[in-house]
Amino acid sequence: MKLRIDRLIKTYENKRILDDLTLALDDKQVLALIGASGSGKSTLLRMISGLEAFDSGQIVVNGHEVVESEDADYRKRIGFVFQDHNLFPHLSILENILLVLEKVHGRMRSEVLPEVEALLEQFGLSEHRHKKPHQISGGQAQRASIVRALAIKPDLILLDEPTSSLDPILTHEVLNAIKVLVEASIDFIIVTHEIGFAREVADTIVFMDDGKIIEHGTPEILETPQSPLLKAFLDKVLSF
Amino acid sequence: MRKIISFFSALGLYAIFFWFVSTSALEKTIDFTIYKQYYRVILNGWITTLTISAVSLVLALFVGLVLYFMRESKLKIFVYLSEIHKTIIFGTPLVVIAIIAYYYIGNAFNIDSKFWIGALTLALYIGAYIADIYKGAIESIHINQWQTAKMFGFTRYQTYRYIVFPQVITSILPPLAGQFAMTIKSSALLAYMSTDEFLNAIQTVQSISFRYPEGFLIVTVGYLVLTIPLILLVRMLEKKLNYKVNHEIEN
Repeated sequence: MKLRIDRLIKTYENKRILDDLTLALDDKQVLALIGASGSGKSTLLRMISGLEAFDSGQIVVNGHEVVESEDADYRKRIGFVFQDHNLFPHLSILENILLVLEKVHGRMRSEVLPEVEALLEQFGLSEHRHKKPHQISGGQAQRASIVRALAIKPDLILLDEPTSSLDPILTHEVLNAIKVLVEASIDFIIVTHEIGFAREVADTIVFMDDGKIIEHGTPEILETPQSPLLKAFLDKVLSF
Repeated sequence: MRKIISFFSALGLYAIFFWFVSTSALEKTIDFTIYKQYYRVILNGWITTLTISAVSLVLALFVGLVLYFMRESKLKIFVYLSEIHKTIIFGTPLVVIAIIAYYYIGNAFNIDSKFWIGALTLALYIGAYIADIYKGAIESIHINQWQTAKMFGFTRYQTYRYIVFPQVITSILPPLAGQFAMTIKSSALLAYMSTDEFLNAIQTVQSISFRYPEGFLIVTVGYLVLTIPLILLVRMLEKKLNYKVNHEIEN
């Protein structure tokens, strides 16, 4: 992926959620956004997705300038995995995936069904494909959400704390599913609290605090943090 | 068994009450002869009530939807048109609206059919309440689902068609069945604009025969025959829906 963020500012109720962010990445596959809750990393992800507008600045993803109000076509090429899976509760897992492909992307059911079935098989969801989201575990639902994002063959997948509402066993299950994306050479940006996982899969780590990018670079920055804020953050999250 | 005994005991107590009232307050004996002679007029009135209520409800479902979308519109004029309509409806008795609609609005637009002006009046009246039923149900759809739809590129129409409506349809059924019962009862007020519905038919026979109590008895039973199934349907749907909600929470 190619990502350019230039002097990005977002204010909400007189508080700067994103405070003059600038970042430039070229030919990276996996970007992990880390930081404490409220540091602005999920907000940044939503701005990149075109889901929310920002006050000023510029975001350019793979040469496309993101403008929230007129970016439906751009969003169609972005896969998004929400914190709480956000599968539509009235549809089965299979229908959740097919609905997007049929109605938004205008694909024929018969044409996409084999691909979707293969993805469900790959992510261990075949036997659950006719179940509704409330009939499966949180981990299975989150994996289904990954399949939904993957099925549209996106240019980029954005994952917003995909494991934060899961217990350790289910977290492990979902992180393994995300590794499939790495192996398949799919570009993605992940907001996560799983520092060990970020270190393992990401080629770029961005650490944010209070709406600012404090430090970014290769996963090595987690071994030898330069800023006191990142050092303090790592000390806290890795203390147990 | 205990349930059945309790039910019939309660029914018995009501029967005693009405028997006491009728023997103490009425001078004449109960006699339905004249009503039998006019049964066709009464039956036609009853059918008109049923038809006018059904037509009104179908129209009201549409009116409610239009009012809801006007309320949600970005164009402020639509928002105010919808709000003013609802405020007038919520704050004015139906009988007043019915009279104005028939004698003034109907005349102004040269609509002569009492049936259609009655049905339209009821639809505009009930539609205001239905708009709020839609509003409550649609607002119960979690913000996350709207965002997911937006993220995946669903248009506004597709979001309502494939995501919102399939989910709200079950939750709006019980209040809609309740509204249908209310529509049937409200249609009695159309007698004030001389629509040939059930109450008006009965009142006609009453004025010929002077047998008022019998007429009121027939009217009560006639409306209950229509509304009791709907009341039972509302309870059944609510029970089913509660079960569904609880079942989903447990899971």
